[in-house]
Amino acid sequence: MAKKQTKKETKKQTKKDKIDKSKNLISLLKKHGAQVYEDLENGEFPKFSIPNRSISNIIYDKKLRQYVLGTNTSLRSSRNSSQLRSFTQLLWLAFFANKLTHEKKSSTLRDVYYSSQAFAVDFEDQGESDNIIVDLEAVLSQPREDFYVFPEERSSIFGDLTIEYTIPGYEGKTQNLSSHPDGYAIGPSMTSAELVDTSAELVIAIEKGGLFTRFVEEQVDKKFKSIIINTGGQAPRSTRTLLKRLHDEMGLPVVILTDGDVYGEHIAMVIKSGSANAAHLKGLTVPDAKWMGVWATDIDKFKLPTIPMTESDIKRCYDLLKDPRYQEGLWKRELEVFIKIKRKAELEAFSKYGLNNITEKYLPKKLEESKSF
Amino acid sequence: MSSNEQFNQISPSEFFYRNRDLAGFSNPTRSLYTAVREFVENSLDACDHSGILPNIHMTIKAVDPEKPDPKQYILTVKDNGPGIPSKHVPLAFGTVLYGSKFGLKQARGMFGLGATMAILYGQITTNKSVKVKSNADGKTRFDFEMLLDIQKNKPVIVKKQETPSSEKGLSVSICLDGDYSKAGTKIRDYVYQTSLITPYATISFDDPKGEKFHHKAIIRSMPPAPTIIAPHPYGIDVETIRRMLVDTHYQIPNVDDKMIEKVRKELGMSKKKFTYDEIMKKTEKKWKSLSRPVRVVISLMSFLEADFEKLQRIRIEDVDLRNNKLVYWDYSTSQTLVAEMDVESHYYKQLANTVQGESLTHFLSKRFQRVGPTAALEFCKFAKFKPETRVGNMTDQELVKLSDALQTYEGFRSPDPTCLAPLGDGPLEKGIERRFEPDFMAVVQRTASAYSGFPFVIEMGIAYGGKIETRGTTVYRFANRIPLLYDEGSDVVLKVVKDTDWNRYKVKNDSAPMIIVSHICSTRVPYKTVGKENVADRPEIEKELRLALQFLSRKLSGYMSKKGQAEMAKKRANLYSKYLPLVAQFCTELSGNKKEPNYKEMIKEETALTNSEGTLEEVKKNG
Repeated sequence: MAKKQTKKETKKQTKKDKIDKSKNLISLLKKHGAQVYEDLENGEFPKFSIPNRSISNIIYDKKLRQYVLGTNTSLRSSRNSSQLRSFTQLLWLAFFANKLTHEKKSSTLRDVYYSSQAFAVDFEDQGESDNIIVDLEAVLSQPREDFYVFPEERSSIFGDLTIEYTIPGYEGKTQNLSSHPDGYAIGPSMTSAELVDTSAELVIAIEKGGLFTRFVEEQVDKKFKSIIINTGGQAPRSTRTLLKRLHDEMGLPVVILTDGDVYGEHIAMVIKSGSANAAHLKGLTVPDAKWMGVWATDIDKFKLPTIPMTESDIKRCYDLLKDPRYQEGLWKRELEVFIKIKRKAELEAFSKYGLNNITEKYLPKKLEESKSF
Repeated sequence: MSSNEQFNQISPSEFFYRNRDLAGFSNPTRSLYTAVREFVENSLDACDHSGILPNIHMTIKAVDPEKPDPKQYILTVKDNGPGIPSKHVPLAFGTVLYGSKFGLKQARGMFGLGATMAILYGQITTNKSVKVKSNADGKTRFDFEMLLDIQKNKPVIVKKQETPSSEKGLSVSICLDGDYSKAGTKIRDYVYQTSLITPYATISFDDPKGEKFHHKAIIRSMPPAPTIIAPHPYGIDVETIRRMLVDTHYQIPNVDDKMIEKVRKELGMSKKKFTYDEIMKKTEKKWKSLSRPVRVVISLMSFLEADFEKLQRIRIEDVDLRNNKLVYWDYSTSQTLVAEMDVESHYYKQLANTVQGESLTHFLSKRFQRVGPTAALEFCKFAKFKPETRVGNMTDQELVKLSDALQTYEGFRSPDPTCLAPLGDGPLEKGIERRFEPDFMAVVQRTASAYSGFPFVIEMGIAYGGKIETRGTTVYRFANRIPLLYDEGSDVVLKVVKDTDWNRYKVKNDSAPMIIVSHICSTRVPYKTVGKENVADRPEIEKELRLALQFLSRKLSGYMSKKGQAEMAKKRANLYSKYLPLVAQFCTELSGNKKEPNYKEMIKEETALTNSEGTLEEVKKNG
């Protein structure tokens, strides 16, 4: 009972937070607009100050346990003819973001690119518009999801979780996420929804769609009282946001199951402590998340069939060895074993011992193990 | 070689008949084009040398238009030149190697034998006569119809007719096998490019398909005509020196009847018989007015104590200056006789001078261009000749040494270009401007230079943009005002253009609307082949071409960077007029204001800034 009480309070708190966040964002955008307006009125060329996102300005914050941007900023001025275009693009995006936030309409990266054409602001390709979106994130220090711009790629979620939509037209409507065996796409409506109730005690994030389906079929949600999330490879930000909320708001531990290779290890790491690409953003990480496997040491332990690493796999291992987050513990140990054995194993490798081997044998063992690290 | 092989002498016509490939008459396509060239160039040369602004009309008509190519065509070229006096017409058009172009000066054709070759080719392929209409005096026009007797190298006049006419000029018409469908492009290019390099000429062309091309003269003045001049030391060999020595008349004249008649005439003693004393007496009085050969003959007479009758009976064998003896053959007694020579006599001096010839320094400074007395002295020092060496006394070895030294000595000034007729930068510029109407152009005429003693001048022009329709660098090559159209791959001009790193001059070589006009003028253009279509890469010529192109490219580069700046400034201005209104619009909505901020002044300032930075109009034409 006490637990539920806490949950409700948290919920209220987050709802309020959300409204505040939205208000803050709008006022921040308005502030920038007003500054530009004032400059023009005074016959001065307006400019934006954008935190520098180059490698040299990305540092690892040990306390936050994630990458953050340093203090370097660069100026984008409309006075400079080579920056005028991108300045205008950035201002337009601020204007567009304001519109989206105001009207609670969501958009995708691609949609932003096409919308620009209606305003005579031209982007050469989507790559250019994606860059401007990251620029605005950096200026506002807020992820694009806050101003209703979502990525195309969708990952999915399944399990006993009841949500309440907040998007216009669905406000107040609730949905339990265990009613449809294909799972539910993690889109804007999911990310912005209130997390109302759950019987789950665990979140299992899994790298692959195939295994996600298998887990649903094997009723892992019921057997292990869990919510299953398919990250679809490297977890998109909306998924990471949702993971963080499940952890923070619902108090659920998060475990991650990936392929037994260096990329799998890093997928887990990004969920745990963010990526260098998003160093300008905070609130996307789940520092307490645990990488459950497949570890390099599991390969030998569970006698998994393997394939040899490629050149680029090995290079990636050595690159990650330089990363400050891989300097100790499990992360360093597993990486070094990968380098040593120069072989890797897919999650599917378990099917050698039967299709349900992974859920029957491996999963319980690792879950048990995970409690101790 | 077998002993019973027959040796026949062949006539020049026959030689060319057998080797017509060499002269560009290898097939119907090439032949039609070559024939056009030969006639048009002859007409232009004739007009140039008479100072007449050329007006040339050419027609090519198919004898039977229905037939497929190759077929018979009638080619007619008519000019307003000086015409050819009627008595020379048969020889000029009916004989190979008859011409007036054997001097050292620049002309399009070398010997004028190309036209005869064209006539010969026409006759061979169609068996039809050549029709020549010539009016040289502005009173009478002579119309000839002729055939060539190839074996005898002689004209056969089929028909001759006189008509009163005041219109001077020459018209030549031949019937020949040709292929206009293949040669047409080249012929039209040829006519077009000729008009480009001859902007003072009006050239019109009616082609067999009924198209008319008319290129009107752009300028009304002709460049100065070239003069005939003495050779330059660099361009000389032993044989030429020997001929020059003969030419100088520093030889004991052949005392024949004709010579004796000349002596009598100059002394004013033609009629009667005169004694030796009378002759000598008259000589004393008239000495100063006598010509050199006459003086020599009289000097001989003085030692022989001969009158005219005795002179007729003898032949001079040797003038032995070492022993002061005169050796001669007497026909009447059939024996060799010797006469003593008096060293004190001024007749001796005359004779000695003649036999020994002039001094080397005198010979050099008088007989060669660009050699003055000082240069001659310095050259003697270099070649280790005594300056007072008499050229008449020089042995064969010494002549070889002299010839070698003349070519290795570096102190001579470069050859006199007055024998050249470059177009001049003015007319060249006009020609390019009117034909291409470019945004930018520059021309340069280099100072004269020489290769192996042949002077040459490089003229070059470069044009960019405007109405130039071709993309990439188009090179128009000319040599002695002739367009060169074939075999461009191996040409030295192309080589120089290709070697240029155009990026350095801010030009995108493969897409730039750029043309280069190159004109090499020389008394002898070093063509690689007899067909006269590409110029060999002599280092001297290549260097001059390179310098000319570099000069022009630098100018173009200046234009391009100004153009670049102007375009950049314009782009900048456009940028502000495009984006500032958007910035204003977005920030107004974003900030919740009702009225847009006052930003218009800012655009105005930016645009004004641009204008003061210079526009394209100002940088146009800085050549």
